[in-house]
Amino acid sequence: MTNKVCVVGAGSTKYGKLNESIIEIALSAAVDAINSAGITPKDIQAGYISNVFGVADRQVHMAPVIMSNLGIPNVPGLTIESACGSGSVMFREAYANVAAGFYDCVLALGVEKVTHTGTARSTTLFSYCSDFFYEGGNGASFPGLFASMARAYMTSHKASEEDLANVAVKNHENGLLNPKAHVRKKITVDDVLKSPVVADPLKLLDCCPFSDGASAVILCSEDFAKKSGRPYVEIIGSGRGASPAAVQGREDITTIPSTVAAAKQAYKMAGITPKDIDFAEVHDCFTIAEIIDIEDLGFFPKGKAARAVREGATRLTGDIPVNPSGGLKSKGHPIGATGVGQVVEVFDQFTGRADGREVKGAEIALTHNFGATGASAAVHIFKKVDRK
Amino acid sequence: MRKELSETSASAKQQQSSREKFIASANKGKILANKCTKCGHLVLETVFFCEKCAANKFEPVELGGTGTVVTYTIQAVAPEGFEDAGSYAWVVFKVDNSQLRVSGFLGGIKKPADLPIGSKVKVNGFSPKYGLLIEKLAK
Repeated sequence: MTNKVCVVGAGSTKYGKLNESIIEIALSAAVDAINSAGITPKDIQAGYISNVFGVADRQVHMAPVIMSNLGIPNVPGLTIESACGSGSVMFREAYANVAAGFYDCVLALGVEKVTHTGTARSTTLFSYCSDFFYEGGNGASFPGLFASMARAYMTSHKASEEDLANVAVKNHENGLLNPKAHVRKKITVDDVLKSPVVADPLKLLDCCPFSDGASAVILCSEDFAKKSGRPYVEIIGSGRGASPAAVQGREDITTIPSTVAAAKQAYKMAGITPKDIDFAEVHDCFTIAEIIDIEDLGFFPKGKAARAVREGATRLTGDIPVNPSGGLKSKGHPIGATGVGQVVEVFDQFTGRADGREVKGAEIALTHNFGATGASAAVHIFKKVDRK
Repeated sequence: MRKELSETSASAKQQQSSREKFIASANKGKILANKCTKCGHLVLETVFFCEKCAANKFEPVELGGTGTVVTYTIQAVAPEGFEDAGSYAWVVFKVDNSQLRVSGFLGGIKKPADLPIGSKVKVNGFSPKYGLLIEKLAK
């Protein structure tokens, strides 16, 4: 028997090229989340931090530094790494601890700072998230790994490079409405097709940017949320999944098994089906990833996602808005923070803080985030709570 | 078979790590795999417990290094360390006579037409710089 868990506060920095230190970036998001929840740090009983490359700003073992700078040095924390899935995998652990009754109120924060190392160095660091002996070590960059998945998908399902480009165009459209997005620029399919090839068939505008940034939420028991008198959101489903670490290990390279497993668990826990989801924040590190994700999450049958995107089904005004925040592509992708940023978007959407890009009438939302080429994934489902 | 392998190795007395053994076989144009002695399932040399039955006793099996291309990418922007490699593909290929797939570096590929899915390839060494080297076989 587990307790209901709620999100009672959320905060995020802008994503982009940030000058502050990684700790200052983290603190900024933490302060916003704490203020949004109407609590003080004294209410926080544990800190869950997600980060991958703190070493790039000379800071690992980040949780104690963050807790110390929040004025709560004796509150325990831990730092979780699961490549680009760090945020959601950490969120799941934070959720599980509150659900099990260990804590009533915790901070869940994701942060990353890498842009100061430059593109070449960042690319090399990120390649360490692959199954390096078989992938990075044999010349595959991250775009390269997803490019190989794109080639497999385009071969089996007759999708075109234009189909992939539609995802980028839509996410940029949404990002223009998000003041904290990293890349706020309208683009066309033609812009995507003409952008330089990074790893065939993926081009520069098929790829999300390297970003710095932090996002944080306050997770608490339902009792705590109710007593706070603040707007809150309920977590109704949580799921984890895993896939073979290397692309070569997957029988079908056009699906990410960890997404399928995590989604199935989350839908079961929530007692709902994909049709009940009003909008979703999914992991679009590359355009092909969003195409694969929306099939794996059950929104469209296998092989049909490209057409659905082409027909506008996933636009802000479509049947199932995907990435109203702008997604990783336009909002940005500070890899340790992204999974938490998706929860912040849900919180903002459900509590009237997503001006200009609000998904009208939404009651149930899903977040989906995975690490590397999908070796680890977590899916969470949220329900809007109407304030009486 | 284990005895034969260690006799032919130059450093027969030294314990090789699993990766070193894999690399040694690749330098002979082979893919080293582990065959579970309990259920017969094949896993790559770098895997320590059987995926099917969880047993951890294997006999090494050197598979012939030929295979077919499953998917690939042509790395227009090469990662650090590969800037001098010229135009190349990172390839996932299925190893003949097994269910195993491995990934490797295939130099000289400039455009998708150079490497249709299903092309025949062959392992031809392991470079400290570029990793598992493969080459395209003529039809």
